[in-house]
Amino acid sequence: MQSDNDKSKGEVRTTNSAADAKAGNINGILRESVYRMDPRRLISNPVMFIVELMFIIVAGMAIDPTLIPIVSSQSMQTFYFYVAVILIVTVWFSTLSDSIAEAQIRATAESLRQIEHEVKAKRMDSDRKLEVVSSKVLKKGDIIRIDKGDYIPIDCAILEGVAMVDESLLTGESAPVRKAPGDVLIGGSVLASDSLVAKISVDPGDTYLSKLISMVENTKRPKTQNEQAIAALLLGFTAIFTIIIVAVLWLSVSLSLGVDLSVLIALYVCLLPTTIGALLPAIGISGIRRMSVNKIIAKSGKAVETAGDADVVLLDKTGTITFGNRMATEFMPLGGHTEKEVGDAAFLSSWHDDTPEGRSIIDLAYRKGFIPKVFCSIDRASAVEFSAVTRISSVKLEKADKFLLPKGNKGSRQGSRIRKKYQTDIPVEELNISKGAPDAIMKSAQRIPEGFQKLVDEIASSGDTPMAIAVGDEAIGLIRLKDQIKPGIKEKIESIKVMGIRPVMITGDQPLTAKSIASEVGINEFVSQAKPETKIDIVKKEEAAGMIAAMVGDGTNDAPALAAADVGLAMGSGTVAAKEAANLVDLESNPAKIIDVIILGKQLLMTRGAVTTFSIANDVAKYFAIVPVMFAALPALNQINVLGMPPETTVLAALIFNAAIIPALIPLATRGVKLKPRSTMSIFLKNTVTYGIGGVILPFIGIELIGRLILAL
Amino acid sequence: MDIFETIKSPLILAIVIMLLCGLAYPVVITLIAGVAFPFQANGEQFTINGSVAGSYLIAQGFNASVFFHPEPANFSASGIDPTITLADAYSQVARISNATGLSESTLTGIVNNQSQYTIFFFGPKFINVVQTNLYLIKKYNAIYSKYANLSG
Amino acid sequence: MSALPYVFWTAFLFGLIIALAWAISKYLFAVYTGKKGRLDRLFDPIDKAIYKIIRADPSREMSGKEYFIVLLVFSAFTVALCFIILLLQGLLPLNPQHFAGLSWDLALHTALSFATNTDLQHYAGETALSYLSQMMALQFLEFTSAAIGLCAAVAVFRGFSGKFKGIGNFYYDFVRSVTRVMLPLSAIAAIVLVASGLPQTLGGYVTANTIGGGMITLPVGPVASMASIEQLGTNGGGYYGANFASPYQDPSPFTNWFEFVLMLVLVTSMPFLFGSMVGNRKEGRTLLIATYVIFGINIAIAFINFTGFGPYMEARLGAFSSVLWTAAATSTMTGSLNASLSAFSPFVIISALLGMFIQAAPGGLGGGVIYLLMYVVIAVFIVGLMAGRTPEYLGAKIIPQDVKRAVIAFISHPLLILIPLALAFSTGAAAAIGSGAVPNGYTQVLYEFASAAANNGSDFLGASANTLFFNISTGIVVWFGRFISIAIMLIIADSMSKRQRTPETGLRTDNMLFVAILVGSILLLAVLTFMPFIVLGPVLSLLQGFHAI
Repeated sequence: MQSDNDKSKGEVRTTNSAADAKAGNINGILRESVYRMDPRRLISNPVMFIVELMFIIVAGMAIDPTLIPIVSSQSMQTFYFYVAVILIVTVWFSTLSDSIAEAQIRATAESLRQIEHEVKAKRMDSDRKLEVVSSKVLKKGDIIRIDKGDYIPIDCAILEGVAMVDESLLTGESAPVRKAPGDVLIGGSVLASDSLVAKISVDPGDTYLSKLISMVENTKRPKTQNEQAIAALLLGFTAIFTIIIVAVLWLSVSLSLGVDLSVLIALYVCLLPTTIGALLPAIGISGIRRMSVNKIIAKSGKAVETAGDADVVLLDKTGTITFGNRMATEFMPLGGHTEKEVGDAAFLSSWHDDTPEGRSIIDLAYRKGFIPKVFCSIDRASAVEFSAVTRISSVKLEKADKFLLPKGNKGSRQGSRIRKKYQTDIPVEELNISKGAPDAIMKSAQRIPEGFQKLVDEIASSGDTPMAIAVGDEAIGLIRLKDQIKPGIKEKIESIKVMGIRPVMITGDQPLTAKSIASEVGINEFVSQAKPETKIDIVKKEEAAGMIAAMVGDGTNDAPALAAADVGLAMGSGTVAAKEAANLVDLESNPAKIIDVIILGKQLLMTRGAVTTFSIANDVAKYFAIVPVMFAALPALNQINVLGMPPETTVLAALIFNAAIIPALIPLATRGVKLKPRSTMSIFLKNTVTYGIGGVILPFIGIELIGRLILAL
Repeated sequence: MDIFETIKSPLILAIVIMLLCGLAYPVVITLIAGVAFPFQANGEQFTINGSVAGSYLIAQGFNASVFFHPEPANFSASGIDPTITLADAYSQVARISNATGLSESTLTGIVNNQSQYTIFFFGPKFINVVQTNLYLIKKYNAIYSKYANLSG
Repeated sequence: MSALPYVFWTAFLFGLIIALAWAISKYLFAVYTGKKGRLDRLFDPIDKAIYKIIRADPSREMSGKEYFIVLLVFSAFTVALCFIILLLQGLLPLNPQHFAGLSWDLALHTALSFATNTDLQHYAGETALSYLSQMMALQFLEFTSAAIGLCAAVAVFRGFSGKFKGIGNFYYDFVRSVTRVMLPLSAIAAIVLVASGLPQTLGGYVTANTIGGGMITLPVGPVASMASIEQLGTNGGGYYGANFASPYQDPSPFTNWFEFVLMLVLVTSMPFLFGSMVGNRKEGRTLLIATYVIFGINIAIAFINFTGFGPYMEARLGAFSSVLWTAAATSTMTGSLNASLSAFSPFVIISALLGMFIQAAPGGLGGGVIYLLMYVVIAVFIVGLMAGRTPEYLGAKIIPQDVKRAVIAFISHPLLILIPLALAFSTGAAAAIGSGAVPNGYTQVLYEFASAAANNGSDFLGASANTLFFNISTGIVVWFGRFISIAIMLIIADSMSKRQRTPETGLRTDNMLFVAILVGSILLLAVLTFMPFIVLGPVLSLLQGFHAI
């Protein structure tokens, strides 16, 4: 299948069937891997460059054994030929692994590009007149209209209207999502209902999707700290082995020890960290690829690795740990009032409250039959919306004696039924009902019944949220709001805890509520009654203590904290400011993913560590295999030839093992080492045993088997 | 002048420390040693008839067959080891007995008396040849006087 | 002969050494953190006088670079002073035997060798050096090079610790190291040694008419004062060519074991001091245990195929002491021997070479523990890799720059050994002194450069290496072998001192697991780097059936 975007790849596909395309892909990988063997391109990988250089020397010896006198002999010509072949195959395996990793990433980019179609968009001018244009010509700041069934042409923010949006192409989540003014729409999703007017928030090519694609395709990333340190270590080993080999050669010539140059080169190549040298680029590339599969945009590779290093992660209670829609479950009267009085008041105070909490209060009151007599005049009431400052919302019923038909349908599903049932005219006394945080109500109300605080604490300490209801200047009771904990979050939190990462829960709730929720999901540290600036305070405090802090944010309020945090994951649906400030953006807008990012980062670091250790551990066995048979003039050393095979066989077997281990580890490099959540120490122990000790033993077995096979042939 | 300033302090320090550790320290130790332990400080010399005849700590040639012989000069690490192993001492007993007429058991007894452990209370033993020979000379003066240069 | 009493004795010795080292580390902690004590009344006026004469402010913080430059310039001056004395000794006083000045290359080699705590001796002291040279040239340098080791270690500890303002001031550390540590301890030890039989006199050599006829010379001199500092400071440069094999330097079993303890006690106190200075004793204990595990392995290797007493040993010291001492002297970079290397089986030589390749178990005074911290940086980095975390040590992140620097420090060691080794054979310099073939001659030359690069000072060649090639080549090697690692570790420490600290998270470096990791990484690095070169020497001679080289 020929897609629109193929032209950007510079690869011409001539076939049509899917199978052929795959074959073409393999051909492409093979061709690319051969191109990459060009020394000018290979020089960016010093270890492999040296191997190729060694190939040139041995190939020269294979063609003319007298090329380098003293350390070579005519009778070994065939052997030189074999060595040369294995050396160049080693180089090729390395370029092959790079090519495979890049092909995988191209495929990922390709699948992402499928999402971003060129579509027709309805641009709106200042007179609200519509003009149909290609999505490619849209600019930042343009206003567009989107109707049911339209593709969202490009990332934009809703100005008018509420609608359901299908983001399944991006997130794989099939249920449409409700979007209201201020929300962000991501290019590539589809409007499932209603119509919207939205403002384009980015220029084409600057959308989050294109950022994701360019992250995936941009393989020339600056090296991360971890990569730099490994590079330093590898360079160090390369230098040491170079010194050793030169010294042995020099000594052999001076002392007539009978070392053949090709054997020495074989030892050199075996000792060089070829395994990690060959796989290091592929590991980095596939880390990025795994991020993109998770629909996370990493603005730098560093952010991912830093995530793996996180010491503390700030988790918003709402959205991350709980669904965020607290449900009213109980009306609790105080000071001689009845449950119905509380229910009635709660009902009235919630009629204008379109939050999930408000709706759930109406539902509960209806289920319990607590419908106030004054219901009919409710829509005429003046409502004061909840504000973060007062933390109270209130409703004021005017004195009236005439029924007024309620307008709108802001209430619950039951709203219309309620209206039908109570269409009677009841005179209303002036009534002022307020609802809000208990401590705020305690401040505003004059009369606080006995046992108020005790009940508040009791509700809070059971993990629920108390909400106080006051009629006039008297607090008459409390509403119990229950939080819904997301399934699976407890296990995720446990997994980061065993890895030594401290989760800190942030919530606007009362301390006791916060504590209960936190303990339910196994979090020891939490910050309650958080204000918008709480996150940045915590981030700064943790970082001042040298901790690496990771956090999630979506609002503009979060932007400073996201910018300050070492790892800031913004929600794709969040504000532009938040996304600009963060170094990671999750297109799926799932805050719990911060934990996945951390695990992915760890996996990346560990994969490098495992392959490096394995590569170095292998050297021990290769030494013991080759050194005893290396000095032709010192037959006494044959006593410690543990493998018991003739010199040429041993050397060839070691070289073949050295080359074969590269493709054998490509899956590990691209998939990453398995990471089960365990303590850092046990992860370390397991990896040490597997890759360290295993790395010492495996080559002995491998070389022996390959050698026996060669002897049998 | 900066460079001069930088190197002036280290230079003066070097000279001060040279005088302190290279001169004052050994001289003070020498003075204390000379007063408190004159015998050891001067190398544990012994004299015969007033003239220095050697040190208990330095091997000397006892060529006559009546003496215990130290290791040949280049056989020990120092070349002047005054001590030999117990086995070495026993192996010389027969020869000395032959030459002196002293019984082997007497000589073996002397060797055993003279022997010391290399690790205070266990391990292989050794004897000091100089001391043992001086003991023999003193105890069996009649036999040994004609072999030893006792004139000083 | 049961091995059990020897095992008990060794355990007792090391128990005693560790207990003493622990006690001394308390004192050292007070010395280097400026804690007030009763001895201040005695030492403060001396220190103040010195600061005044040299016009230095001991309270001024130095950067890593400045600390190193002052240390290096000071060392260069000590070399110059020593060189001049050795060159001109024929004209100088306190020369009762009228020894002539040394050749320029031997004088230079000796000065460099003593200034770097190496003490390779291409001469025999009793036939070449005047009392003045032994004292004012050599004992002087034994003090300064030991004190420099202490200074560098303390500065590095401060940087790693992060609990201090910076890494400190060289003059403060150096003067206190000399006046409060090396001088008093050496003086006490010297008096004990004189009392137990070492000469200490400025009267000339004594000629004796021996009992058996003939004359011998008794080479007395200021021996005890040198033997004490040479052991305490892990210098190893002896008064006599035979060093502690000489009965005047090690006359009895008592002096032997006393000197053995002296050699190890200060070195062993270093990890304790580290623990106190970083504020976590367990961290110090980890280093101590790692050190002693490797040291134990080295001792065990030396005793493989132990054959008992033989030629080129001293009967009063015995074979057990000779082998144990050699393992200790080559593991501590003291290099003073109480037998000749020629006495030993290739296993002892393998153990000695390993000790000098690793040079951190326990290594020289100060230098060893610094080197150990370099291994720690590498080991912590590998741990971090394997655990999927950016590595941390003592709460400070280990950055790529540290790994780079540590790797450079590590590479310098094989480079300093192998280049001159190959040169010695290709230029014929080794053949010229009869060491031109594998395995024996090769082992001797390999040993010479391994000893030089590790600042050990024990050698096969001795005065036979008094040739232009060996004097100059080992002179260069000792200098770089000493100061590359100090420079790099001071710079790492300096940067660590400014680094933010975090509470311990996840990967601990103060438990037995880390000991295992550290030991494993050190042994792995040593094997990877030096295996072929050990094979060509002592291993080959084993396989060819040689038992003594």
